[in-house]
Amino acid sequence: MDSGHSRVPSPSQLPASFSKYHHPYFTSAEVQHLSEKQRGKLSATQEEKARQQACGFIEAVGSKIGFPRKTLATAQNLYHRFHLFFPRKDFNYHDVTLAALYVSTKMHDTLKKPREILMVSYAVRFPELAAKSKSVGGEVDMDPPTAENDRQRLLAVERLILETICFNFTSKMPFSYVIKIGRKLKASKKLIKCAWRLTIDSHRTLVPIMYPPNTVALGCLYTASLLTTLEPPPSPLVEAQLDSRVATILKEKGDWERTYLAEAEDLEEIAHVLIDLLIQAAQNPSANTSPRTPASPSPHPSPRNQHLSPVGTPQPPPIPYKADQLIRLKIMMRQNEHPLRPQQPLGSADPSELYNGNDIAMLGRNQGTVRFLFGPPGIVGQGV
Amino acid sequence: MSARRQFNACDGFASIMASSSQQSIQKVVAFALKYFSRCGEDLWECIVEECQKGSINHRINILYFLDSLCETSLLAKAHQLPEQSSSSNKQVNNALYVDYVSRDLTQIVECVVPVGRQGLPNLPSTKQILENWRTKRIIEPQKVDEVLSLLSSRDSAPDTNSTSVAPSAAKSEPHLSRGEIFKRIEEDRERHKRLRERRWVQAQPHSGSAVPSYSMFTLASFLPLSDTENAELALDIEFENEWEATSDWNEDDVEATAEERELCHPHLKRKGFTNDEDEGEQEMDIDLS
Repeated sequence: MDSGHSRVPSPSQLPASFSKYHHPYFTSAEVQHLSEKQRGKLSATQEEKARQQACGFIEAVGSKIGFPRKTLATAQNLYHRFHLFFPRKDFNYHDVTLAALYVSTKMHDTLKKPREILMVSYAVRFPELAAKSKSVGGEVDMDPPTAENDRQRLLAVERLILETICFNFTSKMPFSYVIKIGRKLKASKKLIKCAWRLTIDSHRTLVPIMYPPNTVALGCLYTASLLTTLEPPPSPLVEAQLDSRVATILKEKGDWERTYLAEAEDLEEIAHVLIDLLIQAAQNPSANTSPRTPASPSPHPSPRNQHLSPVGTPQPPPIPYKADQLIRLKIMMRQNEHPLRPQQPLGSADPSELYNGNDIAMLGRNQGTVRFLFGPPGIVGQGV
Repeated sequence: MSARRQFNACDGFASIMASSSQQSIQKVVAFALKYFSRCGEDLWECIVEECQKGSINHRINILYFLDSLCETSLLAKAHQLPEQSSSSNKQVNNALYVDYVSRDLTQIVECVVPVGRQGLPNLPSTKQILENWRTKRIIEPQKVDEVLSLLSSRDSAPDTNSTSVAPSAAKSEPHLSRGEIFKRIEEDRERHKRLRERRWVQAQPHSGSAVPSYSMFTLASFLPLSDTENAELALDIEFENEWEATSDWNEDDVEATAEERELCHPHLKRKGFTNDEDEGEQEMDIDLS
């Protein structure tokens, strides 16, 4: 690379001003490239474990605060996006997840101050301290310097997250599409409910930042319809027939693709990712403590909970799907798959050049003007 | 508890409840919760009595107080205050005052929004609070719906002159001074703002677990799935609320979907799938070689 001849400034030279554009969705090639770059010495398994731990933490803190699903889902999306550009080894997952949650609260107008989010996170991380708390809400008495320190780190990561989304505060969620499209496909309410829950779980994967929300919704409806084949339907026959019809429709290419602007191949890909997630979870029963049962016995056992043993392991709810059932389902799916579509290659520019480790060093320094554009070139300016 | 003490408690209630400030409300709520096991039922009777007297402003203050009382009752129940765990077994499954509110809801609302023009200033706030209680399942939806339809059936009553709910109470309630009206407008503004800020908070089911433990794999898909709403699962409640509120697939959705698709696949133009000559640079060009 002869920089003498090139008129494009190389990333290591800091130009007086430059533009960054929002990259709302990633292709699989990009995800692969970026993940590999950030993974470093971690194995893919370790990376997945870290990812699930973080997503679980977001769930726990967020549901205790009472955030709606969209806030939690976006927080998880932001977390995934963040680690496509910044390595996990450089960050504590508490800082990143809580910052992601904070940004998400702003995006969805479900505001909570950083301090409030932090207090709840302490209760989740240190349940024994929360149990000792004298306040009605069980607030942990965290020592002020620690709390302030954590708050500062949260705000620092917030800034980085905002840059990864180019300050574009819009976010479209799949949840309402699950209901709308499910109804239009005449799926049973139970199936739609199952698909809605799969949509919640889909945010533990990178699916929502790779596919637009209508496709994610359809992918979840499709997956739900496949899962109903695993158990004999107790529901009325009419409903069972409607649900299996959903599976039949969405499996094949057809008019519905034009109606909903999605492709059957995408639904299949999404189904595989989701079933993989279910398999992983089904194979790790020890990691499945229900959010309703306390991990450590409460020092104030109420008469209501007396049926729980006073010492030791809580009872997780039985998992509805067995790992081997799910694996068989995957095998069956592979037998009738759509042919592979040509993969979109990485393209000439390395997307990680959009944000790199230099940003951390650059924080707070005045390095010239940066233009943040809300969308990819060619789209920006066309009503975006 | 002696009759005298009871009376004093009631008296204390009345004076504090006349003020609408959050501080006074919280003080009275704390007092009520503290004495619930000892004389909760008597205190409740005091509250209901209060509701039946006083100005229209006084009555809406009581309703806001009840909102805070319910919220705090549920919070206390979730965290198992020592006072509660020492109470008798039969009280374990209720949520302190919430059950009384639920039982006497119709009566309370009829006091807070009396029939006729005089009740109108309290109507919007009352509806807001009721809907909040419904969404969060503080009171069962069926019960709230009953009361809401009672109120709306009144709207069409012939003797209300206008559908406007402006606080034009000055004419029908000569004892409300101008100052009181302005004070009320200000208070309403504050309270509506606070309600809006809390509106998104999801139901916190009464399962009594203080802190959700988390693990890597608490999948929503693994939770028990039933045909009807499982009141123990916040996500079931949210689903039901969404189910009711979501419209069918329509033109706007088609439009939004097309836009989002374009953001996902910038190389695909809106009108077709052909890869035209691009204007400007596209980061993700398909390699056709």
